[in-house]
Amino acid sequence: MTLRIGLMSFAHVHAGRYAALLRDRSDVDLRVADPERPALADEFAYAASYEELLDWQPHGVIVCAENARHRPLVELAAARGAHVLCEKPLATTADDASAMVAACRAAGVSLMTAYPVRFHPAFRSLRSTIRSGALGRVLSASGTNNGQAPIAARPWFVDPELAGGGALIDHTVHLADLLDDLLGRRAIEVYAQANRILHGAQVSVETGGLVVVTYDDGTVATIDCSWSVPASYPTWGGLTLALECESGTVEFDAFGDRLDFFDDEAGRLRWLDYGTDLDALMLDAFLGSVRSGTAVEPDGDVGYRTLQIVLAAYRSVASGRPEAVEV
Amino acid sequence: MADSLKVGLVGAGGIAHPHVAAWQLLGAEVHVFSLDGQAEFAKRYGIAEASELDELIGDCDVIDVCVPTYAHDRVVMDAAAAKRHVVCEKPLSLTHNRAQAMIDACRTAGVQLYPGQVVRYFAQYAAARDAVAAGRIGEPAVLRLSRRGAAPASDWFADPARSGGVLVDQMIHDFDFARWIAGSVASVYAKVIVRGRLATAYVVLTHGSGALSHITGGWGPPSTVFATAFRVSGSRGELSYSSSARSALRWDAPALREGGGMLLPTDFAPPFVAELREFAAAFRGGPAPRVTAEDSLAALDIALAAVQSASSGQPVSPKDVS
Repeated sequence: MTLRIGLMSFAHVHAGRYAALLRDRSDVDLRVADPERPALADEFAYAASYEELLDWQPHGVIVCAENARHRPLVELAAARGAHVLCEKPLATTADDASAMVAACRAAGVSLMTAYPVRFHPAFRSLRSTIRSGALGRVLSASGTNNGQAPIAARPWFVDPELAGGGALIDHTVHLADLLDDLLGRRAIEVYAQANRILHGAQVSVETGGLVVVTYDDGTVATIDCSWSVPASYPTWGGLTLALECESGTVEFDAFGDRLDFFDDEAGRLRWLDYGTDLDALMLDAFLGSVRSGTAVEPDGDVGYRTLQIVLAAYRSVASGRPEAVEV
Repeated sequence: MADSLKVGLVGAGGIAHPHVAAWQLLGAEVHVFSLDGQAEFAKRYGIAEASELDELIGDCDVIDVCVPTYAHDRVVMDAAAAKRHVVCEKPLSLTHNRAQAMIDACRTAGVQLYPGQVVRYFAQYAAARDAVAAGRIGEPAVLRLSRRGAAPASDWFADPARSGGVLVDQMIHDFDFARWIAGSVASVYAKVIVRGRLATAYVVLTHGSGALSHITGGWGPPSTVFATAFRVSGSRGELSYSSSARSALRWDAPALREGGGMLLPTDFAPPFVAELREFAAAFRGGPAPRVTAEDSLAALDIALAAVQSASSGQPVSPKDVS
């Protein structure tokens, strides 16, 4: 069966990539809607409004609006019976996130949060090894999700209202999600510090951030979410996670599958990825869930839990003390 | 893709494991025949056993040859005579003439023959080849390739008359890759240092284009961590990779090493799946795979020239081997 998939808003930079991947699939009929970007009609089957898109009765939709604008689109889609894949972070407030989860549950549609690193084959292998118990319990974890500041590509990424903040909300959630999946424990306390030394003249949000998360079994994880990657770096940034276990350590580098490419034309070193396309794997999982009508991880609940870690981090930055994670 | 394809696996040694795992992942029905370890292998993978090679060949659509190198040609000849498509592990054989005879027999029988040059299916090697083909580093000038692992445990590998030694058995992978990147090879010069089962070899290739390749091979002590690397320098840039520099997962966990093979699924399975998927598609009339039996023969010729050079101390043309 060919699935009707709608893409709502191209505000997020990932939308173009998702649209291109879906357009090339023979089992998907894609339509996109973004009232602010009518030029999309040149590239894709285009609906002038979200209502028009939903009148087409898509089986599933992908929401790529600004972080603070996810909720109304998710609620609209759920009310029309479409399964939802929503960009991360799920929302900028706990109220919005819980309302989105509740709306999808009430409508009987699945809600998935766009955390593609979950689908990395090496992460899957890591998770199965940890779950096998071969390394004993995970004692601590240290992760980095650093990138270049997303200032030029889309200005809303550095708008405190539309994005919900800066580096803390943009880059803490991916690692919080991987840790949620790996540890299966609830985060109870967060300590965070942030600064604005890098790009401080251009933006009002934090660009540097360190987050320490304590889980209910005593496991501790640190997350460096800084937009600290210099312009001359070989690529946009990356994501790593090191685990200390009872009988060994392991380091995961989500973008470790790469060649060094000294490019005389660009005048610098660049990295050439040869790894698996994580977006394609995530879309596979989403389409599978749309087809089967069953929920798929990472779901809306983990989107909510990881947002709560970010919100606790902002409270900690404000208070200078560790803050409890709300449930 | 390989759904409902009946594959007759001949041999149950080390390389048969990733083959059977990949075939099963592709949905093929695998049968096995092996003079050694057949029952245990069949039980482990839940596959059917054949009591004779002829029976296996008779029952299957494709014969996958994973026996020791010195026995490749007999199995391939039998499979071709029965008009079965063939996958044959590298090296195809131990001499140019025997490998050529295998290719000829398959062509005459109208069946397809593909070699297990699996390095072409490792994503990092394929990405380098794609980048070079797209002109991203300009014209390839100097290549440095290396591959080192523990000396294989089975006795036949240690006997050059049966395995060809490190130059033929191991380094054929990088000879094939060098040729894939920089084209045909005009001359080969090789030095080999052997101590019992341990061996280190250095080979210099001069390609027809003028490009040069430096290739290191090695069979080390049992504790050796398998490592490969390449660097391709061209007129507009350079590509490099080293398995020891980084990887998506790096373990420091003795418990996993003792388990043996635990890392195999993620590290080695995908290239074998990619390779056998292409071969299976070709057997069904799909597009030609990225590697041909003639490519593998050309890599064997480079390896045999290296063997001759190591013995004579003189450069040898791959054209002059037999």
